[in-house]
Amino acid sequence: MQRDISTILKSVSKPARYTGGEFGQIIKDKNKIKTRIAFCFPDTYEIGMSNLGMKILYGALNELPYAWCERVFAPWPDMEEKMREHNIPLFALESKDEIKEFDIMAISLQYELCYTTAINMIDMAGLPFFSKDREEDSPIILGGGPCAYNAEPVADFFDIFSIGEGEEALCELAELYTKMKDNGTYTKSAFLREASHLEGFYVPSLYEVEYNNDGTIKSFEPKFDDVPKKVVKRVVADLNTSYFPLKPVMPYIETVHDRIMLETFRGCIRGCRFCQAGMVFRPVREKSAEVLNEQAKTIYENTGYNEISLTSLSISDYSCLHDATDKLLAWTNDKKVNLSLPSLRADSFTKELMRKISGVRSSGLTFAPEAGTQRLRDAINKNLYEKDLLNAVRLAFEGGKSQVKLYFMNGLPTETYEDIEGIGVLAKTVVDEYYKTEGRSRKPVSVTVSVSCFVPKPHTPFQWEAQDSLESLRSKQMFLAEKITDKKIRYNWHEAKVSRLEAVFSKGDRRLSKALALAQKKGVRFDAWDEYFDYHRWMEIFEECGINPDFYANRKMSYDEILPWDVIDIGVSKSFLISENKKAYQSQTTPNCKEKCSGCGANKLGKEHTWCPKKKK
Amino acid sequence: MVSEEKEITPVRIKFSKTGDLMYISHLDLARTMQRIILRAGLDIWYSEGFNPQPKMVFALPLPTGVESECELLDIKLNSYMSNEEIMERLNRNFPADMRVIEVYQPEAKLKLISYAKYRMELFSPKITSSTAHDISNLFSNSCMIEKKTKSGVKSVNICDYIQSLEVKDDNGRVVINAILCADNEKNLNPELIVEAIRKNLHIMDTVGTDEYYKIMREGLLTQDLIEFK
Repeated sequence: MQRDISTILKSVSKPARYTGGEFGQIIKDKNKIKTRIAFCFPDTYEIGMSNLGMKILYGALNELPYAWCERVFAPWPDMEEKMREHNIPLFALESKDEIKEFDIMAISLQYELCYTTAINMIDMAGLPFFSKDREEDSPIILGGGPCAYNAEPVADFFDIFSIGEGEEALCELAELYTKMKDNGTYTKSAFLREASHLEGFYVPSLYEVEYNNDGTIKSFEPKFDDVPKKVVKRVVADLNTSYFPLKPVMPYIETVHDRIMLETFRGCIRGCRFCQAGMVFRPVREKSAEVLNEQAKTIYENTGYNEISLTSLSISDYSCLHDATDKLLAWTNDKKVNLSLPSLRADSFTKELMRKISGVRSSGLTFAPEAGTQRLRDAINKNLYEKDLLNAVRLAFEGGKSQVKLYFMNGLPTETYEDIEGIGVLAKTVVDEYYKTEGRSRKPVSVTVSVSCFVPKPHTPFQWEAQDSLESLRSKQMFLAEKITDKKIRYNWHEAKVSRLEAVFSKGDRRLSKALALAQKKGVRFDAWDEYFDYHRWMEIFEECGINPDFYANRKMSYDEILPWDVIDIGVSKSFLISENKKAYQSQTTPNCKEKCSGCGANKLGKEHTWCPKKKK
Repeated sequence: MVSEEKEITPVRIKFSKTGDLMYISHLDLARTMQRIILRAGLDIWYSEGFNPQPKMVFALPLPTGVESECELLDIKLNSYMSNEEIMERLNRNFPADMRVIEVYQPEAKLKLISYAKYRMELFSPKITSSTAHDISNLFSNSCMIEKKTKSGVKSVNICDYIQSLEVKDDNGRVVINAILCADNEKNLNPELIVEAIRKNLHIMDTVGTDEYYKIMREGLLTQDLIEFK
């Protein structure tokens, strides 16, 4: 088996994606292991190896003495073809053993367009797609990651989902599995039933869904009394003591984020109304500057990386940022290690921060105003003013930067053509600010405007919203192209067809599984990759399955409709989301969690703990 | 200036890169090596200038897909460390399939490398009793191949790049021992030997589980065909 893999690698692109053997990979004696977990990432090695969540879960599961977690990435189509030709099933990088030999196949669902790749991995493992068709002794297929917050489109393929943060939950699941195997009580159905009682696990086959004639959901109920009506997401209570990987696997080939990723805090105080991460990661929990600095030193010694990136949803909201960067800079400069701070907010960008990151080689800065006018920024609760943005870019220009990237969105609820025009106006104001700045660089300014399309996301105040039609999104994109005439402004926009497919799966329900199964059979993979994305084929597939994509993407839902993802409780209450949705239509903002607690409800997840910045005693 | 330079010690590291590590490209190896050296805590000398980088010079980049038991890397250290300690620290931080063979003070400049010695093994159901003979003949005096050079793809006679080549038949497996040019002017990627065999003899044209080959770089040689140190 091993030789077979090695020899076919001569004829595929980037063979090092499939060899494993990196420094830091964990090898255990499989004869001494009770539970084997294949952690599958349905995208390439380079993308998967950049995912912090995977590093955390790989490390945390391998801390368990009785379990061995290995890594699996989706083979690129050239490798898939070779593997199928030579009857080589999907295998794990560490042992090169095939997935059928594992107890649990855990698949990370990071974004909707990985669904076909995910179920193709199930097929390449030699297993039937549908949960109901798999044998008693086939591995348990577990899903997790951000898409699990509405897992319904893939619910029929998976046996169980982990909802929320997984580092403690997955260990509990592995423990339950091992215990039931040990004491002889294991059957697949007994295990899944028992697992549904653990906090943060959703077993879709234990729920019955009925539909109304108009296609909306009539009822969504557990089949048995002991199965929870709502699955409450898991959160890690204390980031200072929770598991964090200090000796990550070192990839040989260049990955997307090939550096130390240090998690500073989870959650976001802001509450932008389109943002799913901002809602599902509530409440805010921070890591202390001391713990962060110690972790940084240890990881540096264990890896030899020369760049540290401080990760979070909005780094300038980290209350220990100045303390933490001072502690880090005290040693990183000497060691020639760069510090980078992605996800900066324009309204908290200061001279001091600018100085601290000036050692970084990056040539530009990125800010995300998201909308072109104050009215729309208020409607989406961005809480960012033009003066803040101009202040931030001026600081950057004074610091010698001449490139700025600005991110926006088209198709936001309540958007008008005036708002779109505002994007161009704002970009021009930034250009003008450059030439007003004394002590600017001698280079010409370059402002990149990047506009994506709004995708309504479950568990956000905009979850009920319809996406703009393709035609409308396109004409908005073209309208802005005509408005931007300054040569110093570069304008990019996202392909609206991709966003439309995202919207379908984002707001989808269980009836979409047949479309996914058909798509896999027709060879659809890697939808997130331009070279493989084929909108036309998807529309044919929907038609063949009798699915109307407009029903999911372009239909505004009512507040009292049963939503496919209502079975998941993220802590934030529906009444809060409704009130936020209504405020959007009045362009009313909501203060951030540090200014005032708005009572979203997520604090209940803390039980005796209180995390919310304004609720702390 | 002079006294500063004296403190810097040049070190040559001979290491192997075998097994699946053959699939790690030269660029990826360079990045990996930089991290290994930092992890190992070697006090490596950095280049000066705007963007200081640890100074590393590899002898003769190894083509992807080829294994080696004789890779050479030159670095400079800012402070003294014994060869044994360097070796021990590196080995502790190397991945499996990479081992330090020797650490020593360089004797000759890397540009004095003239040849590289390779052992190639070909496995294929298409190998017959005459295959070894056919391969010998193929490379006996003239065999034109397409070769990438600095000035584009050119048609060259591969035999001009072969110092010596012997072919043995070993129970349905063909073993080729070859010494190929490996200096600045003339350098031959051993994959091109396989390529020539594929084109002319139609062996190795369906690389997969039954038909495959292995190439091992066994040594780097001087102009006088003795081991380069």
